[in-house]
Amino acid sequence: MLLDFRKLGAWKWALSAICGLMTLFLLLPILFIVALSFGSSRWLIFPPPGWTLRWYEELFADPRWIDAALTSAKIAVIVMVLSVVLGLLVSLALVRGRFRGRAVLRAFFLTPMVLPVIIVAVALYAAFLRLGLSGTLVGFVIAHLVVALPFSIITISGALETFDPAIEDAAILCGASPWEARLRVTMPCISHGLFSAAIFSFLISWDEVVLAIFMASPSLQTLPVKVWTTLRQDLTPVIAAASTLLIALTVLLMVIAALIRKGKAR
Amino acid sequence: MTTPFLHINGLRKVYGNVVATDHVELAISKGEFMTFLGPSGSGKSTTLYILAGFQDPTAGDILLQGRSLLSTPSHKRNIGMVFQRYTLFPHLSVGENVAFPLRVRRAGKDEIDRKVKKALKLVRLDGFEDRMPANMSGGQQQRVALARALVYDPPVLLMDEPLSALDKKLREEIQFEIRRIHQETGVTILYVTHDQEEALRLSDRIAIFNKGKIEQVGTGPELYANPATHFVADFIGDSAFLGGELAAIADDRATLRFADGEVLAGVPLHGTGTAGDKAELMLRPERIELAAGPGREGATLPVVVEDVTFLGNNSTVTARTGWGDALTVRLNFGHPMIGSVARGDRLHVQWQPKDAHVFVKP
Ligand SMILES: Nc1ncnc2c1ncn2[C@@H]1O[C@H](COP(=O)(O)OP(=O)(O)O)[C@@H](O)[C@H]1O
Ligand SMILES: [Mg+2]
Repeated sequence: MLLDFRKLGAWKWALSAICGLMTLFLLLPILFIVALSFGSSRWLIFPPPGWTLRWYEELFADPRWIDAALTSAKIAVIVMVLSVVLGLLVSLALVRGRFRGRAVLRAFFLTPMVLPVIIVAVALYAAFLRLGLSGTLVGFVIAHLVVALPFSIITISGALETFDPAIEDAAILCGASPWEARLRVTMPCISHGLFSAAIFSFLISWDEVVLAIFMASPSLQTLPVKVWTTLRQDLTPVIAAASTLLIALTVLLMVIAALIRKGKAR
Repeated sequence: MTTPFLHINGLRKVYGNVVATDHVELAISKGEFMTFLGPSGSGKSTTLYILAGFQDPTAGDILLQGRSLLSTPSHKRNIGMVFQRYTLFPHLSVGENVAFPLRVRRAGKDEIDRKVKKALKLVRLDGFEDRMPANMSGGQQQRVALARALVYDPPVLLMDEPLSALDKKLREEIQFEIRRIHQETGVTILYVTHDQEEALRLSDRIAIFNKGKIEQVGTGPELYANPATHFVADFIGDSAFLGGELAAIADDRATLRFADGEVLAGVPLHGTGTAGDKAELMLRPERIELAAGPGREGATLPVVVEDVTFLGNNSTVTARTGWGDALTVRLNFGHPMIGSVARGDRLHVQWQPKDAHVFVKP
């Protein structure tokens, strides 16, 4: 190897230190929020003078927070399902298809990833106002699907590319109809890609705030939007508690995704 | 006229401007082991894929017991196939892989158990039911694939270079198994390979493919003793080709004049030609004798020895004629000249004119 860590001498310590600092830099805000959510100070004093679960009690007692969390979960689950199903169909076409303009189509499907979210948000907002979709569940789902689908397509296409289509051909000659072969052989073989796509699609929707702010109405808002609007009115540790719960679910799903990847690599 | 069991009728397949197969015509009897032999890109797989239903032919038909297969989709053709690449279902155990064709046919549990056991026994992998494909060697995986392709008693088994990823020793071992399985089951096999030894070892008959066309069909000995074309002569066995010109033709026998003026009469002629055409003389290495001087009977040519290779049970002598064509002579172990022949020696080769073949150059 060109750069062997063990042979770097004094640089080894410098690199380790930089790595440590970077990790701290990335983790500190999260640790800070988690600490504040359990801190007893109403004014978000750090370090907290004492510890309490009061803010969590307030959070769970307030139906507006519960509503927002349920809305978030509902949207994320629908986005997850649609994103995986559509992602699978699109990937089958992109990877297996032999038609002209495949590369162009693929690039087109991935554009929402590189487009600034705010532009997507404004465009969708304008369109949804005309269509009467703004402030509706359908509007939310479509908006989040636009940003989640590219991730689904990338992960599922990746899994499909490493799967030898001759295996599917073998299943068909064994007597399985083309769709039966895809269902019983191809799908289980690319399940790691499908799971990753599901988790990332869920997370993208669950964490998303820019599109959600444009789509939200006073009666329908997601958890990140609720955090955002509450923050503007009143700085309360309940926000820290809500944020902590958001982060907890995210971390849990990331860990599951990492385990799936590791299981696949084994 | 009786209808053949399997009839490949004037098959033609065109991809864009590539003609993959052209006028492929073949009648295969029940229980026959037919091998498609030819260089890579000669249209062997294409023919097999059309049989399997993965490709539609541009023209022609496939008839199984007189009925066209073309309108039947792949999964209803009831044909078995072993692929070049490993195609076991990686998420299923060996037992479940072999059971798969029976499960999609909605067979009962007892029948599945019995047939899976029998199929694994046939490929000598009984007791491997719970093994996962990833934990098996390439040879074992191909044997499971064979069991999976035979478990539903298909009338025809297709095999597309199933052993090409294995090393030589293992390949020979499995070739032996395939022969035994063919004899035990009596299934009709269409086998694709580019390895002539494999083809000769396994097949009842061999179809030689070249550039999408079948050059000749016959048993191994027929093809070796009586190649119809220059291509077949070159592809089966190691032969030497000496360039010359047709001097005269009478009753399918040619008189050939070599570049140095030497004339050879009474050689079997393949193809049609007239005096003056360019032609080539084909010689099998084991039909050539090496001698110190010109012999009294048969044909003879002076040569210069270029190289001598010892190969265990025989030695190969490479020599060159006066006008520069190379030929090889095989000396069996114990031949008096082994040990005395050396590079640079001026010797003579001799052979019987009837053992040579003349091919007119197109
Ligand atoms: N799907 C395809 N698209 C275009 N050309 C193809 C395709 N499959 C095969 N060919 C061409 O057809 C010819 C015959 O190929 P193939 O039947 O695979 O040969 P073989 O199996 O004898 O090596 C080759 O020139 C190959 O490039
Ligand atoms: Mg091939």
